[in-house]
Amino acid sequence: MNVVSRGIRNAFRNTIRTFSIVVILGLSVGLALSMLGARQAVQQKITTIKSTIGNTISISPAGARGFQGGGEPLTTAEIAKVSSIANVTKVTEALQDRLTTSDTNLVSAIDAGTLGNRQAGNSGVGFQAPPDGVPGGAAASQDGTATVKRTFTPPLIVSGVNDVSAASAYGGDSVTFTSGAAFNASSSENVAVVGKALAAKNSLSVGSTFTAYGATVKVVGIYDTGNTFANAGMLMPLATLQTLSAQAGQISSATATVNSIDNIDAATTAIKTALGTAADVTNDQTTAKTAVEPLESVKTISLYSLIGALVAGSVIILLTMMMIVRERRREIGVMKAIGSSNLKTMLQFISEAVTLTFLGMLVGLVIGIAAANPVTKVLVNNSSSSTTQTAGPGVRTRGIRGFGSNSVTNIKNIKTSVGAGTLLDGVGIAFLIAILGSAIPALLISKVRPADVMRAE
Amino acid sequence: MLQVKDLHKSFKTGDGNVNAIDGVSFSVPDGQFASIIGKSGSGKSTLLSLLGALDKPTSGSIVVGEKDIVKLHDHTLIKYRCEKIGFVFQNYNLVPNLSAIENVVLPMEFAGVSKTKRLVRAKELLNQVGLEGGKQNRKPGRLSGGEQQRVAIARALANHPSLILADEPTGNLDNQTGKLIFDLLHNLSRTEKTTIVVVTHDLDIAGKTDVTFRLSDGKLVKNGAK
Repeated sequence: MNVVSRGIRNAFRNTIRTFSIVVILGLSVGLALSMLGARQAVQQKITTIKSTIGNTISISPAGARGFQGGGEPLTTAEIAKVSSIANVTKVTEALQDRLTTSDTNLVSAIDAGTLGNRQAGNSGVGFQAPPDGVPGGAAASQDGTATVKRTFTPPLIVSGVNDVSAASAYGGDSVTFTSGAAFNASSSENVAVVGKALAAKNSLSVGSTFTAYGATVKVVGIYDTGNTFANAGMLMPLATLQTLSAQAGQISSATATVNSIDNIDAATTAIKTALGTAADVTNDQTTAKTAVEPLESVKTISLYSLIGALVAGSVIILLTMMMIVRERRREIGVMKAIGSSNLKTMLQFISEAVTLTFLGMLVGLVIGIAAANPVTKVLVNNSSSSTTQTAGPGVRTRGIRGFGSNSVTNIKNIKTSVGAGTLLDGVGIAFLIAILGSAIPALLISKVRPADVMRAE
Repeated sequence: MLQVKDLHKSFKTGDGNVNAIDGVSFSVPDGQFASIIGKSGSGKSTLLSLLGALDKPTSGSIVVGEKDIVKLHDHTLIKYRCEKIGFVFQNYNLVPNLSAIENVVLPMEFAGVSKTKRLVRAKELLNQVGLEGGKQNRKPGRLSGGEQQRVAIARALANHPSLILADEPTGNLDNQTGKLIFDLLHNLSRTEKTTIVVVTHDLDIAGKTDVTFRLSDGKLVKNGAK
């Protein structure tokens, strides 16, 4: 038997006390481990969110936004400068156009309704062909000389995209193909994927053809975004739309994706510098940071709780070992009297503390594994707050696409798993507790003078 | 040879300095059995602590063999205590959760004796002090006072010490057992050629030792061989 095995054996001298300490220490280690797991899971989630939500920069021609405003279109050559900017991982380009009844044989899937008619009236733009016998219908309507009753049919929105997999291509919504598949975005074939509502309205299926800009376009896929507005649109390869609509090399919007929202400010500035006054550049950083805030607070809470659990564990071991040292003062004195050095005596008591901590750690690991996930979920659910955006069918609200109830669900959808790394951290925590908790008792041991112990007999 | 010269030990108390040991000088030849007697508070236990290098004197010298242990550093003192001194206490002071044999093994472990050798030596010593068979594996709580003191004596002898210091070794024992323990110590001083210094109240025991010193108020008032 040596000092270490004697220390291990001493840990079981008082079974009831050992059991109590192990249970309390187990709770402490379990809590520390849960908090460590929560912290790691939350950190991972923050990194994911920072690289997926609000990390996009919208680029549009200066003075234009969608179909509003004016100015000059951007060009493919200008957008190419953005791709080379640091931390920009992807740039998706889009050209949007509106097909009126004179451009296509398709019928819009959205009824004008009150909002459509009001917008048509406010814009002063009519989209239907002028009635027979009324030349320049729009002008006739404006000067009030004609008494033609105009009907408004919302135009079909067609988007030419260079990345058909990007959520932004569909208006930021997640998309599923109900039939067919996406086209090759780099091609210039006359192909299109159409929204579910548009396909239904015009009885389109994969393989069907329709007319646009006087050309025949083939349907290769039908998608569903769960969004009335997006489901009433269609997508074509960028080059195809540029050619068909006679807008070669023109871009009406682009979206730059940055690797993390931490870099979005710098990237935005760099894009503004690169494009100068030709483009309006905006980002969603503020909203994205708001999304991360609850998780940041969970991270802070878990850190403080981790420290608290660590301190509590250390105090438990500290008080226990102090009690044990006081109880065994005479024994320590005798050991020193018969030749044990301070170091050997301390090592024996540290072994005892480590044994108690190790047992507590085993209990703590079980508690930690069981509690990590529920604890994280409770922390995240209690900390998350959100602004849910709502919109009626067929209406595109301004604001941040991809951040709303979906992203809050995304934040709450957090799972903690206690892996090998976390278990090793748990072992580290336990030994840190043992060392911190043994430090003062070890000092007390070194202060025990055998002569005093003998004198006290 | 144990030689003590002009030994002083004083403590600071609220009332000033107390001279627990005040100019004590004596010597005990190798292999002799000496006793120190005196009233409570006369300084017997303090003297024993100084002889055992458990405490440092204020002044004076204690020479064991050819070494003045007063001049030794703390680290060397631990080695000295481990290899040259054996202690026997009134309350036995055995480690309660170790068996008799494990208690005897303890000083040898501290001295760096190999596991096999220390087990053999511990068994021999326990047999020598009359604790045989299954009792060697019993913990102190399951041994009588006399048996515990035998274990303590075996432990004191473990590293072949030059000097065994015993503080009231029979104080907690009945007369008959006390006599047996005294005889055991006496025989060991002969067979192991170990110097033994015993602090005792028992004048009968003191009367049977080779030399007796009487302490009073920290001073040696009677010093002499018989």
